Amino acid sequence: MGFVVGVLVGAVIGAVVGYRPRGHAAAVGSGVLLGMLAWMAESLTLLPVLTGEPVTWALADAEATFPFLVGRLLYGALTGLGTHYLLAVLTRTKLASTGASVPPPTRRVVVLGGGFAGISTAQRLEHRLARRTDVEVTLVSDSNYLLFTPMLAEVAAGALQARHISAPVRALCPHTVFHQARVEAVDTDRQEVRLRRGDDHPPEVLHYDHLVVALGATANYRGLPGVAEHAFALKTLGDAIRLRNHVIGLLERADVEPDPVRRCRQLTFVVAGGGFAGAELIAELFDLVHDVRRYYPRIDPAELRFVLVHSRERILPELSRELADYALADLRLRGVEFALSARVAEMTEEEVLLSDGQRMPTCTLVWTAGNQPHPLVAELPGRHAGNDALAVTPTLQVRGVDNVWALGDCAAVPDVTSPGEFHPPTAQHALREGRTAADNIVAELDRKPAKPFRFRTIGLLVALGHQKGAAELRGRPFSGLLAWLLWRGTYLSKLPGAEKKIRVALDWTLDLFFSRDVVLTEARAVQPRPRVTSPEPDRTR
Amino acid sequence: MARNGSATDLVASGAFAGVAGGLVFGAAMVVLGVLPTVASLVRVDSPLVGFVVHMAIAAVIGALFAVLVRHQSPGAGETVFWGLAYGMFWWYLGALTLRLVVLGQPVQWTVAAAQEAFPSLLGHLLYGATTGLVLAWIRQHDSDRAGAPPTERADTPVRAGGMLRGAVAGVVSAWLITAAVGEQYGPLAVSAAMAQRPLGTVTAAVFGLGILAGVGFAALYPRAPDAAGPSLVRGAGFGFLLWVVLGLTLVPLVEDGALAWSAQAVAEVFVTLPAYLLFCVAVAAVYTWIDRVWRLLFTAPVERADDEGPGARTLRAVGRGALAGCVGGLLFTMVMAHLDLFPRVARLVGGSSAGVGLTVHLTIALIVGVSYGLLFRRQTHDLAAAIGWGTSYGFLWWVLGGLTLFPVLLGGEPLWTAEDAANSFPSLVGHLAYGAGLGVTFHLLEARHDPWWVPRGAAFAARASRRRAQMESSAPAVWTLVVLMAFTVTVALGGAG
Repeated sequence: MGFVVGVLVGAVIGAVVGYRPRGHAAAVGSGVLLGMLAWMAESLTLLPVLTGEPVTWALADAEATFPFLVGRLLYGALTGLGTHYLLAVLTRTKLASTGASVPPPTRRVVVLGGGFAGISTAQRLEHRLARRTDVEVTLVSDSNYLLFTPMLAEVAAGALQARHISAPVRALCPHTVFHQARVEAVDTDRQEVRLRRGDDHPPEVLHYDHLVVALGATANYRGLPGVAEHAFALKTLGDAIRLRNHVIGLLERADVEPDPVRRCRQLTFVVAGGGFAGAELIAELFDLVHDVRRYYPRIDPAELRFVLVHSRERILPELSRELADYALADLRLRGVEFALSARVAEMTEEEVLLSDGQRMPTCTLVWTAGNQPHPLVAELPGRHAGNDALAVTPTLQVRGVDNVWALGDCAAVPDVTSPGEFHPPTAQHALREGRTAADNIVAELDRKPAKPFRFRTIGLLVALGHQKGAAELRGRPFSGLLAWLLWRGTYLSKLPGAEKKIRVALDWTLDLFFSRDVVLTEARAVQPRPRVTSPEPDRTR
Repeated sequence: MARNGSATDLVASGAFAGVAGGLVFGAAMVVLGVLPTVASLVRVDSPLVGFVVHMAIAAVIGALFAVLVRHQSPGAGETVFWGLAYGMFWWYLGALTLRLVVLGQPVQWTVAAAQEAFPSLLGHLLYGATTGLVLAWIRQHDSDRAGAPPTERADTPVRAGGMLRGAVAGVVSAWLITAAVGEQYGPLAVSAAMAQRPLGTVTAAVFGLGILAGVGFAALYPRAPDAAGPSLVRGAGFGFLLWVVLGLTLVPLVEDGALAWSAQAVAEVFVTLPAYLLFCVAVAAVYTWIDRVWRLLFTAPVERADDEGPGARTLRAVGRGALAGCVGGLLFTMVMAHLDLFPRVARLVGGSSAGVGLTVHLTIALIVGVSYGLLFRRQTHDLAAAIGWGTSYGFLWWVLGGLTLFPVLLGGEPLWTAEDAANSFPSLVGHLAYGAGLGVTFHLLEARHDPWWVPRGAAFAARASRRRAQMESSAPAVWTLVVLMAFTVTVALGGAG
């Protein structure tokens, strides 16, 4: 019995100590420590239990079993050293080796896109492949950060600093090989991706074993005359910064503008699209302008117009009618105008023409009324859904193409719980789709079955400017201050990393004590320059 | 010659260091008059022969020490801890085992034998520390002479700034220890007799010791350990060394002109050991934090390129530490439930029921777990390291919590005597079990999400290997020393008190 216990203890010590690349002393030291703990477990605890004696862990027991302590110490030392040498001989490892050599990976998973879906996929792959060196994870994105888009409107309104709502890809995915580059083409037959780091750089080719397409969506101006040229988008940090500079610049000019027609154009702000992005943006622009208005004493508040154009009869169609009506009434009460059941038909440098014939003199139109999958998605083989998004199976594999997976805004992901329905393109879905895709890729690498994506929307939140909001959590409605607090609390907790959370919380806190500044970070007049081929995903929730 | 030279050089440098250690141990033997015992190994009773035999053994095991630690980091602090652990190990192997085998006597490994050989334990510890220190000096000297590149150099040279930081840390710690445990206990960090001296003398002695301890720690670690947790455990090891060197050797020599190294005599001054441990843990903590703040404020980014910043990964460390603390707390719960200690713990919040006691106990376990998460994050790369740091941290909390704060918060006095420590032995077992559970769970949680030690790709391999090597430098020696000390001293002195 004693021999069996001794062998078992030795096996445990040997397994824990293992081979120590840094030498014998560490093996001996670890062996002694483990021998001592073995004595504690064995002589002070198990032995009394097995012999029916009371377990007291008292000094008297320790004194009585002191010979076993000494024995276990020496046994641990010898076992540690012996294991070290045995493993060194068995594995033919050089004793002084630092263990720095790593075999090159044999398989590569390439993720296209650095939005919520792409980052979530890469992070999950890092986690699942943490101990494997045979698979390399590579991420390609033209921006080197993850943009937390739910707070983008606040950046456009100057309430948050741009860097505070973005996190570097290299920090989020430290074990992923990152390429900041533009994806030019995908050859699914050769399993290759062609990318380019800049216009003056030659194209490069990446081979993949599995490809994850998470390129997101871009603004879809639907070919409306003048809109692509004159409207602002709100997809990137650059868009938000440009929009803020544009608004502040208009206030600067309007303050000294004698011509009432020009003043009217400069002080009218139009947002197209009454979804989450549009509603939040119009509220934030309203707050921004009124917060800084005291710097511009010659602007009469009555001159300011904020108009939200929406094609349906009610805004926020994703929310219940009750909440949508609340949001409409609240914004209207504060002075926001609505052009409902109307569409933007055309835009010139001086005005916006609506589908109902209404003309609005303005220099500012922000487009949030439509998105389309990244242009590269349409060029990929495989089946596409009606909006050009890639049709995928419930396990997120692109239909008709091997080893290609798609998710996020550029994919039509079927909802297995509601046949014929698709999951909405929201951040909460994209994050979970990324995890499922990563799990399924690992399963595929290990020749195990993939699992379908299942998720039910947790809730929807919209901020309607300062201290107002609307929310629906598992079908339960919230509005007003409580919804606004829910919005802030939820998104603050979802920001990646403690540092960003603290910075945003500080921004919000300072906002209580100081008004927003009117510093123009770009001196010359700002042009919209909408990014037609932005690969960043459209994420408003 | 020791690091990059031939095997002969390696053995020679080890033998030289061993001779230096043997001289210190030998001097103590002369004072104690035990050299004839050593001579009996060669069947004579001449002190001179005994000294020669002793020095020969010292040279041989010194050479073996150099061979064993040749791959470890050559810094003074690291080598001294290896030396201490090595000395204590040789007490078990040599004094309690091989000596009896050579003399043809039965090996008993009893507590009585351990108590009888207790002076030899202290001698072995002094031998190990001196051998380690001299070997570190030889390696430093060799690397300086060879003009080795910075990465191969033995250690960061000791600078005046570092010594000053150490002295400041010592003064702050002296004030902390006096304020925290009371004026009647602070002086114990110098000697048991110090409590009876005039206030001015006591204050000067405590602050003098603080400066000495701070400067000594700074000399061993010119650059503070990277993480605060391992630094605390090293502080405990340093406190033990200081207790042996100062409290048990130099102070009695100065005060009485004799060495009182018998188990009974040491048991009487055992009360000073917790004071030394807590004192030096405080010194290490303050020194490390001063160093970190200094580096944060005044070190150029180019010199701290690998630093993530103190705020990075904090929330995850807190969460993992809380969970690991609960697991460790459940292990400790088994000991407490078995010994019916919950009503006593409940008294901390004015309660008396077992339920309240269990809640308080688990809350404390969770808080200590969080502190472990913050102090030891990214410091373990395998189960041995996890168990090592965890049990060491558990031991620290036995001294700080079980022997000090707990009785003080209940309105009593610290349980610092050998008898008190012996009575608290079940608590020591519980704290070590807690630490092991805490360390292993925290490691598994880290390993699940972010196993930094697994080199994923060649680009990460060098960094992971460098970091791992740095951590393994003296960590096993520190864990082993701390836990060996906990058991050996408590068991050997508990019955002698």
